[in-house]
Amino acid sequence: MILQAANPAAPFLARKLYRYRWLLYELVSRDLKLRYRGSVLGFAWTLLNPLLFMAVYALVFGVYLRIGVRNFPVFLLSGIMAWGWFVSAMQSGTSSIVDGRMYVGKTVFPAELLVIVPVLSNCVNFVLSLPFLVAIVFAYHQHLGLPLILLPVIMIIQALLTVGLLFFVATLNVFFRDLQQLIQYLLMLLFFLVPIVYSANVIPQSARQFVLGDPIAVIIMAYQHIFYYNTFPNLAGLGLVFVLAIVLVITGYATFAHYREMLGEYL
Amino acid sequence: MPDPVVALRNVSLERWMRDEYAYDLKNQIFSILEGRHQKQTRKAVLSEIDLEITRGEKVGVIGPNGAGKSTLLKTICGILYPTRGEVSTAGNIVPLLELGAGFDPDLPVVENIILYGVLLGSSRKVMIEKVPGVLEFAELQNYGSVPVKVLSSGMAARLGFAIATDVQPDILILDEVLSIGDEHFKQKCRRRLDRFWQEHVTVVIVSHELEFIRQACDRAIWLENGRVAFDGPAREAVARYLSAIERQAMEAIASLR
Repeated sequence: MILQAANPAAPFLARKLYRYRWLLYELVSRDLKLRYRGSVLGFAWTLLNPLLFMAVYALVFGVYLRIGVRNFPVFLLSGIMAWGWFVSAMQSGTSSIVDGRMYVGKTVFPAELLVIVPVLSNCVNFVLSLPFLVAIVFAYHQHLGLPLILLPVIMIIQALLTVGLLFFVATLNVFFRDLQQLIQYLLMLLFFLVPIVYSANVIPQSARQFVLGDPIAVIIMAYQHIFYYNTFPNLAGLGLVFVLAIVLVITGYATFAHYREMLGEYL
Repeated sequence: MPDPVVALRNVSLERWMRDEYAYDLKNQIFSILEGRHQKQTRKAVLSEIDLEITRGEKVGVIGPNGAGKSTLLKTICGILYPTRGEVSTAGNIVPLLELGAGFDPDLPVVENIILYGVLLGSSRKVMIEKVPGVLEFAELQNYGSVPVKVLSSGMAARLGFAIATDVQPDILILDEVLSIGDEHFKQKCRRRLDRFWQEHVTVVIVSHELEFIRQACDRAIWLENGRVAFDGPAREAVARYLSAIERQAMEAIASLR
């Protein structure tokens, strides 16, 4: 084993993930355990969160503002659960390297795992709350069909996109801790720019291309297609987001690898 | 000549010297705008170190505080990356450096043992089997389900030592571990280290206990200002280091007169 400056190539990341797969497994299960440690309701919080949001938004947008989307709770939930995965992963991912200071620079530790862990552990939560979404779909007498086979594809694209973003953000956050606050605000703003609490049809034609050009919006709408409309999502759009996600992972990992040797000193 | 398991070729390591405000994006931007942004300076911690350690060697590292001893160990482990030069190692390296490094303070002791072991390359199954032995050696049998943050620093150090020496390293890297714990535990540590001494485990150890280095190590490296001042038989290294300190003390006294 020759230790020189870190190899920034993405295949190196894949090999490293394989080598440390058991550590990754341990870290993800630790993340899940720690989240619910000392809480009475435990995993129920993961369900309660979208459920409470659904109730409030259904009241405000469905009843007060009469947004005019049929079976609004189903529509809302099909987008907001994936959004919850994205937001939670971004929030804990941004500070993941800083939070791992007991490992990074103190012991031999592949810091890239820290960035990936929140994406995976929140993915587990997302998957575990899917039955709940399916139950709501059926409770409103809606149907699920063939488009469901695209669910894993969409999830993989979302995971890659989030990991790619996080490599940039988590690395930068070591040097500029303000980023954590900034990301919070950006995510809050983004929530209303992505068609989650309203349907994309209500966006004026002239503004629509800007909103729908947002990769997060493409992904969220793909979930809505599967769980709400029961139709196939826009495959070309998803394909573009997939390419973008791959580019982000490669460049993000290169950025992370470039700064890796400085991380330990700044923590 | 047997193959070296650790080889450093012309290794230099420089660390960034930075101000605390560098963390702050606002200050950083303003300092650039106002033209008072200073390029960060680098300080050499290790300079042009050439080193080869062969299998089974027991090497002590001595020298004053700030000479770069811990940095040298971290570079060998791959925790720090050399600015110039090349480090190559062969085999499973197990480091035991800072107190509590590698422990998650919020996780129970048992979980930490498993996580630490998996980090060092063992499987979860193997680690679960090892948990009782580690707890027993660290004398923490009653603390298995307690979060690590509750442990005293001595207990945490015992835990670290117990895990690192239980996973069968090829190369064991120890930093000041003999100063941990009470006298009773020190004796226990030494007995366990003796076992490694018999086997073909390579040990690199930093210690200020020169008597221990002289007795236990074949070879010692004396670091001074990031450079190798002497590399050779432990007895000679310790003798030279001590006489240098004495000389300095004499000169200091002489200058006072």
